[in-house]
Amino acid sequence: MTATLPINRRPFDAGQTAYLALNAALLFFLLAPIAVVVVFALNPTPYISFPPVGVTLRWFHKFFAGADFMNALYLSLWTATCVLVLSIAIGGSCALALARGNLPGRGWLTAFFMSPLMLPAILTGLALFQSYLLAGIGRPVWGLILGHTLIAVPYVLRTTLAVLYNFDRRIEEAAAVLGASPTRVFFEVTLPLIRPGVFAGGVFAFIVSFDQFPVSLFLVVPNGETLPVVLFNYMKYDLDGAIAAASMVSILLALSVVLALEKLIGLKTHVKL
Amino acid sequence: MAWLITPALLLFVLFFVLPFGVMAVMSFFSANPVSNPNAVLTTRHYERFIEDSADIFHDALWATLRIGLVTTIVALLIGYPLAHWMARMQSRLGHALVLMAVIAPMLTGIVVRTFAWMTILQDKGVINTTLMSWSLIEKPLPLMYNEFGTVLALVHIYVPFMVLTLAGVIGRIDERLEQAARSLGAGRLRAFVEVTLPLSLPGILAGSLLVFALSISAYVTPSMMGGTQVLTLPMLIAQQVGTSFNPGFAGALGVILLLVSLVIIVAYNRILARLSGERGLA
Amino acid sequence: MSILRSISRRKALRIGAGLAAAAAMGAPAILHAQTRTLKITTWGGKWGEIMKATVLPAFEKEFKCNVQADQAFPFMPKLQASPRNDPLYDVLHTNSNEQWGALTEGLVVDKISVKDVPNIVDVFPYAVSDKIVGVSIFTSAIGLGFRTDKGLAKPTSWKDLADPKLAGARGGYIIPVNSLGQAHLMMLGKVYGKGLTDLDAAYRALEALKPIKLVDFTGQMEKMLLAGEVSMGVIHDSGVYRYDGTNQPVDFAIPSEGVLALEQVLNVTPGSKVKDLAFAYIDYMLRPNVQKVLAEGVWYSPSNKKVKLDAKYDAKLFTTEAKVAQLIQPDWKWYNARKDDIDARVTKILRG
Repeated sequence: MTATLPINRRPFDAGQTAYLALNAALLFFLLAPIAVVVVFALNPTPYISFPPVGVTLRWFHKFFAGADFMNALYLSLWTATCVLVLSIAIGGSCALALARGNLPGRGWLTAFFMSPLMLPAILTGLALFQSYLLAGIGRPVWGLILGHTLIAVPYVLRTTLAVLYNFDRRIEEAAAVLGASPTRVFFEVTLPLIRPGVFAGGVFAFIVSFDQFPVSLFLVVPNGETLPVVLFNYMKYDLDGAIAAASMVSILLALSVVLALEKLIGLKTHVKL
Repeated sequence: MAWLITPALLLFVLFFVLPFGVMAVMSFFSANPVSNPNAVLTTRHYERFIEDSADIFHDALWATLRIGLVTTIVALLIGYPLAHWMARMQSRLGHALVLMAVIAPMLTGIVVRTFAWMTILQDKGVINTTLMSWSLIEKPLPLMYNEFGTVLALVHIYVPFMVLTLAGVIGRIDERLEQAARSLGAGRLRAFVEVTLPLSLPGILAGSLLVFALSISAYVTPSMMGGTQVLTLPMLIAQQVGTSFNPGFAGALGVILLLVSLVIIVAYNRILARLSGERGLA
Repeated sequence: MSILRSISRRKALRIGAGLAAAAAMGAPAILHAQTRTLKITTWGGKWGEIMKATVLPAFEKEFKCNVQADQAFPFMPKLQASPRNDPLYDVLHTNSNEQWGALTEGLVVDKISVKDVPNIVDVFPYAVSDKIVGVSIFTSAIGLGFRTDKGLAKPTSWKDLADPKLAGARGGYIIPVNSLGQAHLMMLGKVYGKGLTDLDAAYRALEALKPIKLVDFTGQMEKMLLAGEVSMGVIHDSGVYRYDGTNQPVDFAIPSEGVLALEQVLNVTPGSKVKDLAFAYIDYMLRPNVQKVLAEGVWYSPSNKKVKLDAKYDAKLFTTEAKVAQLIQPDWKWYNARKDDIDARVTKILRG
């Protein structure tokens, strides 16, 4: 990004302060419940109470010591990673086809591919469950992964389409004029430029899969449950800090994945046109 | 390039169209035809919804759309400033931090998030105990188990989606356009309203569409935050599936919800395409 | 991490060659041809812990089989969607209302004979009464839980819940999804009207209970009582007694009009391929030593007359003929037939 105009040098910028204050307040709104979760995870009382009475690590202990929890955490991470890869591949290629492929009925096709977002996931889960049973395949892990992918693809599709629609084709044309083959143009010009869209979609896909509950409810098997399912069941009987501890761990893990993704792919475009 | 659509098409046909085809077909049966030989073809599930003798089904549909709309608008009002701030931020570190702060709510998990809100909103929760200890109110405010609590919790989950969508679009708007307006004499606010805002319209529409679609299909959060004061169509579907042995009726409700949503989405897409096309900028 | 997969080979509807190929890919190899698998459902929480830690492993060892216990509630839609001749579960563990619903759908058998489950001969009459489908292995009593530190007198009647002083501080359940809520509704008919089936009186009484805080399941009610969100609520004795020894200011009251039974019922699916194993499991769960472990673990009243509980449990739970006679068993068949209408009506009333 080239040089901007000089920063306003007035001693007190009311507008700027209001802007920052507003954003700080909004951030507070977003983070307040998480602060509560942290307190809950460290509070010794075995139910939600406020104000907190102390600090303890026993809930984290309980979480890490529970085989159920750990297995579920691992399964959720593994599933989410597979979903991330699959949905980027499938959603990305679908977006390219829709944006560039001159397909008939593009509007309808786009709406079609977005429709999993609008349906209550419990129906998606039930429908898939019934179909799996009818087909006689039981409930394998890949069935769970594909079920999540179905729900994740619309996100990748959306964000990638947004980037593609705003794409300035002249850059590609320039590269072609300069002698690059279509393949090279695609891999060295197009793909890097749509990366932010793909990344944003990928982040969504990972999170949506990691946090997915209703579809998983129907598609998991005993001893092969994802973390949200285990937590939900746990919560029905024991509303204690273990779920808060689980939540903290999930947040930290998922955030690391997101950060890693950002390093690899990058959300902020550093190439302005 | 068109052939690239094949994997998505395959995935959707096998895992979406077919299962839902099965479910839509079943919504025309009185019971599960595969397992129950007595099942007959019937439209009574749809009739039940249209008749609505107890008056709750139509209300559920309106409640669903209403909550969806309010959630979307509030999420937009909250999400836009955050997205603008994030997109315009110069420091890479600051950007990363805000990104994490925005994404974190999405990661808390559906169960814990609700309990966090319970802690904050319930009668003995943070807000009420604080306000009462400062003697600002006498009785606890009813912040939970109603539409207010539901919308609040939904907004909280969906603002990140709005922010990430908007940030991408706003980030692509050339800042120099706004600066040009400023240098021509427009105040900051005016430059924003007349330059940046219109240019970010595609993002606003895309983000709103996403949040709306998500909030009309949500049911776990409204169930936990709304008590019985809130009954949305997805909650009704979940009840029918989980406790009423009515997959046929649930399927019919799902078909109805899907049709209503598709109509809204197609309309949105038309507007979106027209507005983007009319931009006419280089 | 072990992911047990259920084997299912049916020549049933196959959706396209693609799915057939995928199925061939995904269907696991035939494993454990010697060890049979018993698929059951179970609750989570403390019950689930005890089951997984001691009860189930001992069963697996004695009967040389593998037990797959599904904890992901709800079970009914899954069972309903699975094929009749290859059901998802061999043994269904749930409450009476769902067992009756399952019976209507043909998902479970009606009665279990003493030939198949010998220990039935030792159970209290309520466990195999005509209000029961299958056999009840435990029960708890639905009554009123209350806080002891709010200056409330111990409730003596169900009508005490409607006390105006408790407005906004009483708790109930979302009736369409919770059997305690459904049982409570019927109780209102008995207390304020002509009997358990007097719905008109029940609806009027429900209206008079507003404002009331409603939750989905008993775990939430427990927490509302503990946190002081409510001062009195409908709850089963197990939900209050399990905090025995933790110094929480909550207690349980048996109203004079009676308490309702919340039975834990086991039943067998007709299409089960391991029926003998299923019956053996039910018989096992009725053994006095197994009953004692679970009863004392979660404060459930055991159905086997021969169980001898430790003194503190024996004092509060329903372990004698006389005490058990106090339990009222609602007619779930009657209720389920009207459930849709009742659900719509109560939703309307409580929506405010």
